[in-house]
Amino acid sequence: MNIIYYVESAQLNTFFNQLKKNYRVFSAAVKEPKGKETDYYYQNTPEGAPLLYNSYRAVEPLKAFFTHPCEKVTDYFTPEKDITDVADKTVIFGVKSCDIAGHKIQDFVFLEGVEADALYRLRRENTVLVSGDCIDFKEVCHCLAWDILPHPTEGFDLNLSPLNDGYLVEVNSQKGAELIREHKEFFVLAKDAQVAARKVKRENLIARLKKHLAPQELISKGSAQKLVKDGYGLDTWKQFMLTCVECGGCNLICDTCHCFLLSDAKVSEGKNKKLRLWDACLYANYARVAGGANPLKARAQRLRNRFMKKFDFFVDNLGMPACCGCGRCIEVCPGKIDIREVLKDLAKKVIPKT
Amino acid sequence: MKNIFRPIEATIEDIIVETPAIKTFVFRPKEKFSFRAGQFVELTFPGIGEAPFTPSSDPNIKDRFDVTIMKVGKITSLLHAISMDIPVGIRGPYGKGYPLENFHGKDILIVGGGVGLAPLRSLLFTLFGEIDKYNKVLLRYGARTGQDMIYKNAIPEWAKKDKIDVLTTVDVGDPSWQGNVGLVTTILKDMPINMSKAVAVVCGPPIMMKFVTLKLLDLGFKPQDIYLSMEKNMSCGLGKCGHCRIGKYYSCKDGPVFTYEQLKDIYDIWD
Repeated sequence: MNIIYYVESAQLNTFFNQLKKNYRVFSAAVKEPKGKETDYYYQNTPEGAPLLYNSYRAVEPLKAFFTHPCEKVTDYFTPEKDITDVADKTVIFGVKSCDIAGHKIQDFVFLEGVEADALYRLRRENTVLVSGDCIDFKEVCHCLAWDILPHPTEGFDLNLSPLNDGYLVEVNSQKGAELIREHKEFFVLAKDAQVAARKVKRENLIARLKKHLAPQELISKGSAQKLVKDGYGLDTWKQFMLTCVECGGCNLICDTCHCFLLSDAKVSEGKNKKLRLWDACLYANYARVAGGANPLKARAQRLRNRFMKKFDFFVDNLGMPACCGCGRCIEVCPGKIDIREVLKDLAKKVIPKT
Repeated sequence: MKNIFRPIEATIEDIIVETPAIKTFVFRPKEKFSFRAGQFVELTFPGIGEAPFTPSSDPNIKDRFDVTIMKVGKITSLLHAISMDIPVGIRGPYGKGYPLENFHGKDILIVGGGVGLAPLRSLLFTLFGEIDKYNKVLLRYGARTGQDMIYKNAIPEWAKKDKIDVLTTVDVGDPSWQGNVGLVTTILKDMPINMSKAVAVVCGPPIMMKFVTLKLLDLGFKPQDIYLSMEKNMSCGLGKCGHCRIGKYYSCKDGPVFTYEQLKDIYDIWD
């Protein structure tokens, strides 16, 4: 059982600002207030700024803190001491349950397997995740469809749950416990009644989200793998790709998409570096090999590849689909291609094999 | 902690012209480096880029290795144009290589198409070095024309070795070619092979591997005894960059050599 503290809002702010002495502290910010749905962005919090509690996930995926859209991964022919030896100590506020669920895929890819990525591991070790319960949701949010709750249950260091004039703070790791210990004057143990109140709030939000999702009749976690396999030959892929402009936005903004391309760049005469760039499987040349052969030549093949990777490959390799229901790909798509609708279309057309 | 993307520096020691479009490059790594037959490396050119290749030399030679390369894309065209003093990096080796222990005591049929004989040469040298462990090696090699055939001088020498049986063919004959004419599948019949204890190893263009596999199944080879080189656009080499996925596998870390048994239920494997 995790320890849960209570902290008043003003004191959380003091804590938040004191952290900046030793850490880079990121938190949610609002660029321009919109009508219906506010968009939150992560920012390196300016000195003295109060903590803004985001109601739901930020626009950017959490992965952006651990791999970058374009970054140097090595110099050429240098001794072992290199860029993997340095990473700033960082605390990220505003992380949500879907981010943490999606990030399991990133951890699996970059920390497990044949060898771990040293740069990723160092950044991960130097980062503290302070998550928070969702207190609202966007139209595109559908975490519950993948059995992910709108409040984190694992994978966080500290988790905030707003309560009256303060927050409950659940400690889920050594790193989290240390932050509290260093600032223990701000935190008191939570009372049973406060924890019970958190439970009620969480259940209310879940009920609201369920009500929002019910009419959508979404595909369930357990049936997605069979669906994409049985639907391999359907025209769904072609139909949905009619409006794709191949921007790769769905890939780049996805919290589970991890593909990258290694490239090279000149730094100066005789000095070069190797770069890692986020890649997107919706790009035309994603699977192209030397000489021009391309197993994913048609756009429909590329959409299908994306779904096979998410709902077949990762279920086989990690036991979970690579979708956390954050809905970022739906929001970003200029062609209005909706992952929920693609799966539903498959379900409509697949003839069950008896 | 080790940086998985850091290349080892290497120099090019020799360049051998095999055909008008194919050259063999001899690399000497400046740090300790070794590989097993069937594993691949990323050759990386500082400031330009990198591409995957499978060494074609004897893995028992530790201070240098060969890569036989056809000019088809950006990196290979660059390689074909360079002199020997260009700095080169290598990353790897990656992948699993051939599971030689599964070949012990058996007849090994090796089928190569075009430049696909290159990785197989590394396997052949390995087998030659410990031939007592195997019953027999059959090499069946097809190229487009006599001119496109690699290791032309070495092949007749291999054929003279004990327990080795070699046949070659070309798709298109010409007056200078004295041998068989026809696709490589045409020399896969009446083979002196004990089907109850045989494995087949295939490397070549996807279309060639497809028809050879169908032929081998026809001949009675079991899917688990057919080994295929599934080259994709491997980039990182470690199952992280995502490019070389085949079903639930990555070609780079789970292959690039797979049995047909592993692949037979996956869609579009020959594309």
